[in-house]
Amino acid sequence: MSKKLDYPSSSDQELVQNAQKGDMLAFEELVARHRDKVYARAFSMVRNEDEAVDLSQEAWVKGWQRLKQFHGQASFLTWMTRIVINLCLDHLRKQKRGRTESIELMDEEIGGVERQMPVVTVNPTEGLERAELRQRIDRALNQLSYAHRTVLVLHEFEQLEYKEVANRMGCSIGTVMSRLFYARRKMAVLLAGLRDEQKP
Amino acid sequence: MNRETELGVQAWMDGELPPTEAASVATLATSDPQAAALLAELKHTRAALAGNELERAVPASREFYWSRIQRELERLENQPAAPRRPVWLSWWMRFLAPAAIVAVLALVLFTPTFAPSSAHRTVHPAEIESPLDDVSVLTFRSEAERMTVVWVNFQ
Repeated sequence: MSKKLDYPSSSDQELVQNAQKGDMLAFEELVARHRDKVYARAFSMVRNEDEAVDLSQEAWVKGWQRLKQFHGQASFLTWMTRIVINLCLDHLRKQKRGRTESIELMDEEIGGVERQMPVVTVNPTEGLERAELRQRIDRALNQLSYAHRTVLVLHEFEQLEYKEVANRMGCSIGTVMSRLFYARRKMAVLLAGLRDEQKP
Repeated sequence: MNRETELGVQAWMDGELPPTEAASVATLATSDPQAAALLAELKHTRAALAGNELERAVPASREFYWSRIQRELERLENQPAAPRRPVWLSWWMRFLAPAAIVAVLALVLFTPTFAPSSAHRTVHPAEIESPLDDVSVLTFRSEAERMTVVWVNFQ
């Protein structure tokens, strides 16, 4: 008779192996363990609490359905994160967000806007507490268009190379470079602006 | 600095430039004040973002969050599996059946022996339907042009 698994103290690998055999309790433990990270990734892309909850739950359902395809090349969390990213990209594509976005993207394609941004010569985040820095970055991310934010999320947070970002977003490497450049420059200006706003 | 150079500086910082181009950008980044300032800004932004994503928790309890996932999983598991079509039949349906439909239509419409005169025609080509679920056929006949267009749609 097989030994009963103590779910909370089991490793991800043990839980995945059990879940792959149909053990839903093992899968529930995996969900409980990683749900915040998967949700946070969805939120970072769609910037809407309800949509992020829905998409993250959908990702867990897909994860269960495809669990047999997981062979442990990456960590389970990395694998789940890839699933939720793909769902978010599909969701954002379907939404075809507004006109403002298109104008911003058009400006970026022309390459004029960021050329007018002055180079931020001082480090705008120097001396900030980590919690405060995270809050500011989050507020600045909120002000980017979804295309620029997505490139930043995939490249800076998920550490994907240009080629991988291009594949996932369905665009050329040149577009990724251009969007990343614009997004970084805008982030620098936004972070500097947020710092100035808070000066006494 | 033109746009291409700016993107080159960024790609060099990200380690995405081939070695053949990297050397010249590295030289530029140290010798050109504009390029050096841009590089410094890009590095600050990259360093600020690294590991500083705001942590977020699901705005729902563990039980509530899981219950919806569980319901969906149970619904999917209780769903009767669609009967699997044998491979040979799928291949037939996908490639040969549409071809057969087109061939039959062509035979009926363009062979004088079979083609009824327009006065006695009982079935208009547009009424011919595909019996297959995943293949639809649409026909258009122009008497003036004496031409029939058959559109076969693979689902």
